[in-house]
Amino acid sequence: MGIDRAHYHGWQGELRSSWFGCLAIVRVALLQVFRRKSYWFVIALGLLNFLLFWSIIYAVTQFQLPSRAQEELLERFGFSATPAAGVESGYIIFMQRQSLVVMILLAFSGSLLVGSDFRMRALPFYLSRRIDRRHYIVGKLLATSAVVTIMTTLPALLLFLEYGMFTSSADYWVNNWRIVLSVLAYGAALCAVLSIWLVTLSAYLQRIAPIAIVWSTLFVMLNWAASELRRATGGEYWKLLDPWRDIRYVGRLSFGTFENYEEFRLAVIATIILTVLCAICLVLLVRRVRAVDVVE
Amino acid sequence: MSLVEIHHVSRSYGHVKAIDDVSLSLEPGTIGLVGNNGAGKSTLLKVLLGLLKPDAGSGTILGFDILHASGALRGRVGYMPESAAIVPVLKGVEFVTLSGDLYGMPHRDARRRAHEVLNYVGLGELRYRRLEEYSTGNLQRLKLAAALVHDPQLLLLDEPTNGLDPTGRLAMLELIEDLIAETGKSVILCTHLLGDVERLCEQVVVLHQGTVARAGKMTTLRAGATNRFELGWQSDTKALLERLRAGGAEVVTGENAGHATITLPNGWGTKQLFQLARETGAVLTHLKPEQEDLERLFFRVTTAEAGARMESTGAAAEEAARGD
Repeated sequence: MGIDRAHYHGWQGELRSSWFGCLAIVRVALLQVFRRKSYWFVIALGLLNFLLFWSIIYAVTQFQLPSRAQEELLERFGFSATPAAGVESGYIIFMQRQSLVVMILLAFSGSLLVGSDFRMRALPFYLSRRIDRRHYIVGKLLATSAVVTIMTTLPALLLFLEYGMFTSSADYWVNNWRIVLSVLAYGAALCAVLSIWLVTLSAYLQRIAPIAIVWSTLFVMLNWAASELRRATGGEYWKLLDPWRDIRYVGRLSFGTFENYEEFRLAVIATIILTVLCAICLVLLVRRVRAVDVVE
Repeated sequence: MSLVEIHHVSRSYGHVKAIDDVSLSLEPGTIGLVGNNGAGKSTLLKVLLGLLKPDAGSGTILGFDILHASGALRGRVGYMPESAAIVPVLKGVEFVTLSGDLYGMPHRDARRRAHEVLNYVGLGELRYRRLEEYSTGNLQRLKLAAALVHDPQLLLLDEPTNGLDPTGRLAMLELIEDLIAETGKSVILCTHLLGDVERLCEQVVVLHQGTVARAGKMTTLRAGATNRFELGWQSDTKALLERLRAGGAEVVTGENAGHATITLPNGWGTKQLFQLARETGAVLTHLKPEQEDLERLFFRVTTAEAGARMESTGAAAEEAARGD
């Protein structure tokens, strides 16, 4: 392991903008997630769900089933490819199911993607390069968003493509092009909420067990608490205590499928709640990301 | 152009003053930043790098303002942190490439250069191993490679030999020595291992309780700083020593063998010694100013600083008591 001077040369080149550092953080984060074999079990669950929907669409479009049978099949799996008012779009349901898988994946990977930087004191490594904490935070948020997008938005768009591809004309794409925007909007909301919450939680809790506990409390216990309180008091607003439902409301807002005005109102309030919570998390995150640990 | 030029820089963590009114002017070369634990070395390093904004003061490094040009500055400076600072799951070459990417190098250049610097630091064969599998010594080398990847003008090394066994430490020192000799980079070495600084550095900054106790060229600080001489003479031993003591000199060692180490009082020089020898009839056979090693210098300086502080605190307390 001696020193090798023979192949050492200086480097003279132009340094690029610090924002390119964010891309490097995303690339490395994806490497970290997809290289862990244990995560592939969770990723496989997501893939199975995707293949299930893929097969349903294939069956409906290729096997020339009578239209009644088609509808039944689609209803059975909760997939409405051309949602009418009052019917929740199949794409929301698909993305919601996928994001369940994403949530499990994020609960485990938060510690690896963000917590380890604090635990192993890698933050000075990042921040002593040409990036500052803005770039670090944006990089980590993009990294988490990339995981969310790969598991939710991207497959949803693939299903949309598939549906159009397997019908004989381009009518499905032309008539339902808004679905793409809706998928993208819902995907963006999922990315924003999940990544901001996860990165903040991981920055404070750092280790896998506390992150998983708090994460599941957020999405499972609050769901249970919301339904119990709603049952006990009859108040519809208790629904909004469940962040999972709030995110779903935002999704429905982007797809524009509401049964009544009351639902729409709840969706708007849910959006406000999520926005405020995300803003608080961002403030906490900025306070947490510092190059030095203060030692009393 | 000065390498480092800072004026009255202070930085506190809450009520604790980590560095207090630090002013430095350092020439390019190898600089040792020494001090006890908690002396403010790492904080000063982070201020120099623009990682921490000072509460007061200003300065430049390589001509870049530490307050307003920290991004451009870090493009010219490589920093090797003290902490483990690893990114789990990554392989050695990916870690160094990430470092290059974060410095703003084009990705392809960063990757090519990562291989180059890993070979240089002697990790060529281990480059595809995961970071978790590296030994402490190899991790230190890896961090050095990550700091070198963008070919900086100045390297800031925070405790590079910390936690290494003697062989690992020697290997690391040889590597840094080679780096200085071959690439001509300036290095600021922050450590509490004085032997490392003595071996590598031309200039030294001694920090004590957040202030600069001494700074300058190593040779200047070590030579004659104490006014201490090794003295050998023939003839009457006692007479010369008594006259020396009467004049305020301190006899440190060996007063009976016609050979002693003495510390002369302020204002005295060799001229006074020769005069005393003439007066007492002693024949001087040997007179050599003592070269103080860094360890002694460090203890002398930090002890003197602590004494001065105690004195000033005592005086202030006395004054306050008188005021009451």
